Amino acid sequence: MTFVGLAVTFLGFVIAFISLGVTDSTAVRMGMVLAGIAVSLFGIMGLITPAYQKTWIWKR
Amino acid sequence: MTKKIVLVLAMLSCLALAGTARAQAPAPDPAAAAPAAPAAAAVAITDADLKAAVKPTDRANGDPDGSLTGTANDIAISDAKAGLTVADVLNQIGANRIGVNFAWTLLCGFLIMFMQAGFAVVEAGLCRAKNANHTMMMNFMVYGVGMLAYFLIGFPLQMGGAGAIANLGGTPVLNSEFVIHLFGKDIGLFGNTGYLLMHHGTYDVAVMVIFLFQMVFMDTTTTIVTGTCCERWKYSAFMVSTMFLGAFTYPIFANWAWGGGWLAMLGANFGLGHGYADFAGSGVVHSVGGITALACALILGPRIGKYTRDGKPNPIPGHDIMWVLCGCFILAFGWFGFNPGSTLAMSGNGGLRAASVAVNTMLAGMTGSFGGILYMWIRYGKPDASMSGNAFLAGLVAITAPSGFVNPVASAIIGLIAGVLVCLSCEFVERVLKVDDPVGAISVHGTNGIWGVLATGLFADGRSNYGGSWNGVAGNVTGLFYGDAGQFVAQLMGVATLVGFVFVMSYVINLFIDWFVGQRVSAKSELAGLDVPEMGAVAYPDFVLKPEPALAS
Repeated sequence: MTFVGLAVTFLGFVIAFISLGVTDSTAVRMGMVLAGIAVSLFGIMGLITPAYQKTWIWKR
Repeated sequence: MTKKIVLVLAMLSCLALAGTARAQAPAPDPAAAAPAAPAAAAVAITDADLKAAVKPTDRANGDPDGSLTGTANDIAISDAKAGLTVADVLNQIGANRIGVNFAWTLLCGFLIMFMQAGFAVVEAGLCRAKNANHTMMMNFMVYGVGMLAYFLIGFPLQMGGAGAIANLGGTPVLNSEFVIHLFGKDIGLFGNTGYLLMHHGTYDVAVMVIFLFQMVFMDTTTTIVTGTCCERWKYSAFMVSTMFLGAFTYPIFANWAWGGGWLAMLGANFGLGHGYADFAGSGVVHSVGGITALACALILGPRIGKYTRDGKPNPIPGHDIMWVLCGCFILAFGWFGFNPGSTLAMSGNGGLRAASVAVNTMLAGMTGSFGGILYMWIRYGKPDASMSGNAFLAGLVAITAPSGFVNPVASAIIGLIAGVLVCLSCEFVERVLKVDDPVGAISVHGTNGIWGVLATGLFADGRSNYGGSWNGVAGNVTGLFYGDAGQFVAQLMGVATLVGFVFVMSYVINLFIDWFVGQRVSAKSELAGLDVPEMGAVAYPDFVLKPEPALAS
């Protein structure tokens, strides 16, 4: 799950970066970048964090 | 009579033709005129010009009020035979301007270096006495390890393609940026010159100034991570991790933001305001440090005893609140190098704006501490000391990016929001994410670094002028509240890069370190305290340390 989380987090960056090439509209770019940030935050908080909690030293 | 009339007409015709010719001549190019000073024709200054100048003999009886010191006699003469010339005076003016900027930037760099002491005592004070030596030693060695990595690899990657920095007399040798062609534009990825400060003519005084100033910025980033990871981080892993942060993670993002990379060029290439604008590093320095700290904390896991089996957090108070608050003052003092020094000038190109930057920095720190104290007082009934210190720092972190672009009222607002935000973020990180951050660095530097980046895109008032352009885009940086939505998008792009790219890069690097070196100390060492197992000596040999319950029973 950690690696899926990393992939999703990076995907968020890719979404934001691609907005530079697919449109010249500032509004559309803002929407895409915000979506990218949301995807990245989901990757960190929704996927990576729960996965790491299973490996707490006193839970092993 | 006729001859006289013809002569006058001829003279008038000549004057008219001369005037026409002058009117049609192209206007002199200011850029071309600027470097002409050293090559200017040597025009002798006459005795009459120097008549009023002070003579060396005038100081035979000393100069108690300073009025006779620093005169025309102190201007360096290039040719003794020609005497003092206009070219000598012009060269002296240029040397003075760059000298002032050198002195300002170097002194601010020295102030920033002293911030290492502030971070060291804040972090040591917030950890338990049994880990104080280990925490201090991490903060001590982060300076050397980070600097070595930056000297060998980091600086060329960050600043190798930065181009000329006019305020420091130009650094034309930093001119090699690795780019890829994408979306019809050149996307700068990293610099490629300046290795060992010798490569490609970079043995240059202006390059030395920018190296020193940027090096201490990088060291600030690396020391943020040690706070989050203290009390359980293996010392060898810390050194390797810091090496990678100073050599790759920080320089890559710093190149994108400050070294002419693609984030800085978002304005020139894609019409997004003036590109990513981060005056002194809320994003580049603090968010990179805070986000790397988050990645490392996830890999390390929480300290033993921080959470119960059902995930409820236990408080683990630090051992010396006096050091914590004293360290906050040291940091605030150093911040006057961090932010105002980022003008890289006191003379020319908006250098005097450093005064405004300094006041903005003060104001945001003040409102930040107010915000944090009030929040804690209302929510918990007491003005918590460590959170007050963290809120103070949060205000300073948040104003770091906008300090050069916003007015004092906006600074106060940004700091106030940061002071509350750091309290909310600390609770979120501890209780929702269940990430153990002993000093709150993820919230202070990561969360509020991002807030600072966004605040720039909101509050920049378009009144700052640093030589007429920023990141190659004419005009002043203007935020969303003052009419430039594109600038806010550029700032958002910076945030997306921080959370989507820098986090992943930091996580992967530290995961590899975990596999090869192992990031975490043994449970036995952790319970005993890291001072003896990791460092071989305790910080307070004359003190009796309270044993951990697990060992006492």
